[in-house]
Amino acid sequence: MGYAEDLSRFEDLASRYIPRREDWTPSEEAVFGPPDPYRVPKDEADRMRYRAVKHQFERHYRLNRMYHDFCREAKVSPEEIRGLDDLDKVPLIPSEFFKDCPPGKDFALWLGNVYTGELPRIKVGGRSPSHDQVIDSFNSAGMAVCYSSGTGGRHTFMPRDMRCFLTNEYAMAKGVISMFFPHWNPQMRGYLLLPHPFKTNLFAGRLGTIFFDIMRDVNVAVDRKVDTELIRLSMSEGHGLKGRAFKYIAKRKSERTVQDIITWIERNQREGHEMALVGAPFLVHSVIERLKQEGRTFDLGERGCVLTGGGWKVHESKRMPEAEFRRDVEEFLGIPPDQCIDLYGMVEANGWMTQCPEGHHLHIPHSYMHTMVLDDEYRPVGYGETGRLAFLDGSMGSYPGFIITSDRVRMLERCPVCDRPGPVLEPGVTRVAGKESRGCAEEVRRMVSSDMRRGAR
Amino acid sequence: MTGLGEIKDNGYMPQRAYIALMARGGWSLSKVILFNMRELKRLRVVPEGEERHVRPKRQYVIPPYHESMRTCRSQERYLRPTLYCDPNDPDVIAIADQLGAFKVSDREFAEAAFHFVKERMLLEEMTLNDVGETFQRGTGTCFHLITAFIALCRCAGIKARYKIFAMNMIRSWYDVVIQPDPFIKKWYDSLGFFVLEGEGEVLIDGEWLVANVGPEAEWQAATGTPITRLGEGSLGNWFNAVPGTEMRMESIPYGLGTSLELLHAIAPGSMERVNISMVKQKERGSKVIAEAGGLEAYDRMARLRQGPRRPKMRLEPRAQIVFDD
Repeated sequence: MGYAEDLSRFEDLASRYIPRREDWTPSEEAVFGPPDPYRVPKDEADRMRYRAVKHQFERHYRLNRMYHDFCREAKVSPEEIRGLDDLDKVPLIPSEFFKDCPPGKDFALWLGNVYTGELPRIKVGGRSPSHDQVIDSFNSAGMAVCYSSGTGGRHTFMPRDMRCFLTNEYAMAKGVISMFFPHWNPQMRGYLLLPHPFKTNLFAGRLGTIFFDIMRDVNVAVDRKVDTELIRLSMSEGHGLKGRAFKYIAKRKSERTVQDIITWIERNQREGHEMALVGAPFLVHSVIERLKQEGRTFDLGERGCVLTGGGWKVHESKRMPEAEFRRDVEEFLGIPPDQCIDLYGMVEANGWMTQCPEGHHLHIPHSYMHTMVLDDEYRPVGYGETGRLAFLDGSMGSYPGFIITSDRVRMLERCPVCDRPGPVLEPGVTRVAGKESRGCAEEVRRMVSSDMRRGAR
Repeated sequence: MTGLGEIKDNGYMPQRAYIALMARGGWSLSKVILFNMRELKRLRVVPEGEERHVRPKRQYVIPPYHESMRTCRSQERYLRPTLYCDPNDPDVIAIADQLGAFKVSDREFAEAAFHFVKERMLLEEMTLNDVGETFQRGTGTCFHLITAFIALCRCAGIKARYKIFAMNMIRSWYDVVIQPDPFIKKWYDSLGFFVLEGEGEVLIDGEWLVANVGPEAEWQAATGTPITRLGEGSLGNWFNAVPGTEMRMESIPYGLGTSLELLHAIAPGSMERVNISMVKQKERGSKVIAEAGGLEAYDRMARLRQGPRRPKMRLEPRAQIVFDD
């Protein structure tokens, strides 16, 4: 079966994520149009990306007061963006900005002012509502407010509307399917090594709803309600009565998680199903550690896929080398390295960079993501230079997705290993000095790490 | 004598958030005093032989006042005299005249007043006094200096007001302001924030611009922060406001003067130690600026270190968001 058939099956299953074609904006043309987001010819991608970013820049300039004032201060208006070379002029917002939000009712107004365009009617109750209560109010009204990375004690909060959020999920899944081709099929069993998509507003969990549509009998590792309070407790290092109670319960639950995953692999292997482990590499690593202890291996071969994302920290001070991880996956699960790929994305963006199976470089969906690497003075530098990642997300309609991240990357004009066109990031994205580690895997790791460390001994 | 109407109208009566802060601060201070009586007694005075604070010389000459010099003399809100802030004081009028009052644009005057207060008046812990006295002395707390800036602006017919908040501060500020004295440190640590801090705000072309005139360039260099300009505030820079405590006021309210007097009466030694530390920081800051290659070079470096520019968020009501409490 060819990629066209795979894509057709995927689009049938993901039809609720795709807006009606006649309603497509230039942004949606760029996301939903190309059959393979990583094989769009350069000229075509440049044209689509320019149209998508320009479309969004005009919208945010016109409809978002905060961004409008920011652009005026920088003396940049849509008239000045006349071609691809002008995209570097678009004012960029540091990702830290989205962490500085006030508490209580002001948080609702803050979300409302970050958001571009008309909001649905949102009723916020209580005299001093918590962040979770405000987010629930927005989401009950049809929004998809998500947050991420409370590793430094401050979450990043992003207000998306459902159309924008579905675009994000679609973009992620389509990118993954194209890279895994021909190893995906809708009969695949899935295990999400993430918080449950229907029980959290944590971005790392919530974005996984699409896996329930494109795989069968999906299991979830963190199958409980996860809110900012629980994340705070998981980050509290077990201080205080609540913190200690949380750590105790997490320990008891997660002792079972690794065993559950192993049992799940055994069952599906026995029944001859194809399967995918999706989520925090830390948990796959824990499964492998358990198998090592028990002196066991699996031989999943063509029937297994591993999709990781969210960072490579396995202990407080240890980062797992990706190549070593893939070797372990092959040795203990029997899954070849080309079926073990990593995703790089963030709560602020809709675009996902996915590793190619051939060289494990992170491919950028260049039909709508305009990525830049900035030097220490926040000026764009050329390909091959290392610096801070910034991007203009041409698919982001809910807020200005023109962002300077705190991630340190090296971007190449094209992949040195595979034949896909378009720029790539070298594997091994790190944080800029002085910024705390972040990523969904780190959150999952913190939620379950106390007992995992013991389990590994 | 000030009438009740004037007290209310001019904003001399403290706002609810202000009263809550003072109550919390007072309660916390009482606890610190009660549990640290012996230490406080020891810290009340600077022992003989230890370094003493010497007030720096005034950094400017006050021009002689002449009756032909103009002042606004309006009774309009944000232009009229308020507590400790008389824009019609002869020293204020003379300095405002020298800075170009009624001769240059509002923005140019506000810039000149900002630079005058920020660069030529020095920080020093003391009790509150009238603005004329502050100009004679050339030093004061941030509230003295904000009042000096506001008085100059009001004298020139430009509306100006106070922005007051409780805050916590970045480490380098903590090391200079809080750390040098164990009593202040205990108070700050027990409360988790500094009770009151302020900035000025001036209305230019329909927009309130923040004016942080407190720390001079050398002080900012010593704490590693950029040299702030008119329109750039301390919040999100070296201070973070405690949520819900930001207040805009036409006047310094009743109670602040008494609180400062009380604090100086309880812990004069502590105030002196903070002053000694501030003078030392200024000297250190001068070296930092020189090492960086001058003021501009230092500022450029500090701004780069601080990260990219961020949008300003104004929390405007959204019709679709309804609060139901």
